[in-house]
Amino acid sequence: MAETSTARARPRKRVDRWRWAGRIFLGLMLLYTAVPMVWMLLTSIKSGFAAMQLPPQWWPAEPTLASYQKLLDPQNSVGADFLHFFWNSLIVSTLTTILGVIVAVPAAYAFSRFRFPGRNFLFFAVLLRNMFPAVIFLVPLFILMRWLGLVNSHGSLVVTYLTFGLPLSIWLLKGFYDNIPIQLEQAARIDGATRFQAFLKIVMPLSVPGIIATAIYSFIGAWNEYIYAYTFLNRNDQLTLPVGIQRFFSENTTDFPGLMAASFMMSVPVVVLFLVLQKYFVRALTEGAVKH
Amino acid sequence: MARVVLDDLMKSYGNFHAVNHVSLTVEDGEFVALVGPSGCGKTTTLNLVAGLLPITSGDITIGDQVVNDLDPKDRDIAMVFQNYALYPQKSVYKNLAFPLQMRKLPRDEIDRKVKEAARVLDMTHLLERKPRELSGGQQQRVALGRALVRDPAVFLMDEPLSNLDAKLRVQMRSELKRFHHDLQATIIYVTHDQLEAVTMADKMAVMNGGNLQQYDSPAQVFAHPANMFVASFIGSPAMSLIPLEASTVDGNIVLTGAEGWSLPLSSFNSRKIQNAKTRKVVLGARHSTIKLHKTAVSDAVPAKAYTVEPTGDVTFVQAFLSGAIVNISVPPNVDVAPDEQIWLEFDQERMHLFDGETEMAIKAD
Repeated sequence: MAETSTARARPRKRVDRWRWAGRIFLGLMLLYTAVPMVWMLLTSIKSGFAAMQLPPQWWPAEPTLASYQKLLDPQNSVGADFLHFFWNSLIVSTLTTILGVIVAVPAAYAFSRFRFPGRNFLFFAVLLRNMFPAVIFLVPLFILMRWLGLVNSHGSLVVTYLTFGLPLSIWLLKGFYDNIPIQLEQAARIDGATRFQAFLKIVMPLSVPGIIATAIYSFIGAWNEYIYAYTFLNRNDQLTLPVGIQRFFSENTTDFPGLMAASFMMSVPVVVLFLVLQKYFVRALTEGAVKH
Repeated sequence: MARVVLDDLMKSYGNFHAVNHVSLTVEDGEFVALVGPSGCGKTTTLNLVAGLLPITSGDITIGDQVVNDLDPKDRDIAMVFQNYALYPQKSVYKNLAFPLQMRKLPRDEIDRKVKEAARVLDMTHLLERKPRELSGGQQQRVALGRALVRDPAVFLMDEPLSNLDAKLRVQMRSELKRFHHDLQATIIYVTHDQLEAVTMADKMAVMNGGNLQQYDSPAQVFAHPANMFVASFIGSPAMSLIPLEASTVDGNIVLTGAEGWSLPLSSFNSRKIQNAKTRKVVLGARHSTIKLHKTAVSDAVPAKAYTVEPTGDVTFVQAFLSGAIVNISVPPNVDVAPDEQIWLEFDQERMHLFDGETEMAIKAD
């Protein structure tokens, strides 16, 4: 009896040990990702002087929202710029997202459902783009944009972000369409739908989680992009946020609380987007459609 | 309801003919089963009738209309899929209403028809549920209801029962048969299960390798299989097919087995062999037409028992004969042991003779 109980206890102990190792690892990862964010937030509510103190003031002695007030005040020159950059980023990212979805949805559906000549080559070509770092295309694209007369316009960014975002969007969405049984469309077509209606009424609603995932992905990509925005845009009134908040650095002084407040504000839309839409990721919408 | 005519139907992918020169007529109100092993072209044929695949050549007529180039929605058909293909985001009610909405029926008429279909299929209490909240049998019913609600010219069914458990399958089989009887519906039903085809269909079309092997009533197909494939596919356990050599001894025709024994044939069967062009003959016999003897009897041939499988009602004995496995059914009280020497007597009236080269049944005249 005693022997069997120890034999039984031993594997459980091993599982426990692994579980603890896992927790410690997760804890470290959490620290690694959270500490910079927390530090950003804490710095943003310090005064300019407190932010520069050594040894650092870990917890702000006199928290203040002054930096935020400044940023959100259109009468203030810093605030006016910040709001303007924010607006520019919003326009560019939203346009990129909407156009991206409009192109990616039919493209992914076609790759998933139709067998056409050159299909494999095209799909490979789409993915090939992702094998090169974005910087490689910087100069050629700049020349192309100048030739198209798009330099110093948001159009140049939207077009560029689309070419970078679409391959992965299409690839992601194709996976979603592959998982929607083709019999659903066939049933709809027999039930009286045209091919397009079957897509619109049956397939589209089922691919909503995929579309949302793709949309968030392209929005974040466009929202955070720096190097192209920095290269293509020179006029102050057109800058997007990642480029714009550089202006908090200047030759002699850097407004660290202002910079951190702006950085925090910049992460708000992404977080909100994620929180609002995350419920769509959780549920598998096709559950119950077909029996395997 | 309408009749369906397939005329020299072809579906090719390059040099591969998934459906090869298939012609058959499904009469108005008939229940026809397309049956065959997987990859035989039965589902492809059904998809061609549905319009889900373009045909390579030939004609499909539904009612009075050639539908070759019509969209599925314009063919006045309804289909039940093997995996049911219920719209997962829609309630049962909306699943049933969808085909009617697509045909722009007035709302009150849709409501009436959906409720009527739900009543017939005994699922009024399920109307507000989503497909994922239903059991497999209930999902199957919804799939059937969605086909039935529209009163189409033809029902197409692609292995609708194969995802149900064995007990439910038998129950739904009789319900489907009753459904066909009550509606006098034209039904084309694809299955790989020959038992489903035999039990439900008015006619069965046996397919293999894209070719139509035989198209007749189940009784005819069972009693007079056109070739060795049909003979071995229809019936369970399968018909035993024993390769033999025909020769003439003292003016009588006998069949000789690989072990050297010979089996004299009746005059009717001898005449068949005389008509045949080959001396290679395959003897086909169903388990119930072979008599097992434990001692040598005249006209019985020697064999060795291999396995013995009691099932309760009957015991199946498998034996080796001339290089083939022979199935024999015996009453449960007959005691046979593996490796025991036995003698088999074939019923001359009910034996089948096939041409060993063409594999076709040898005809009497």
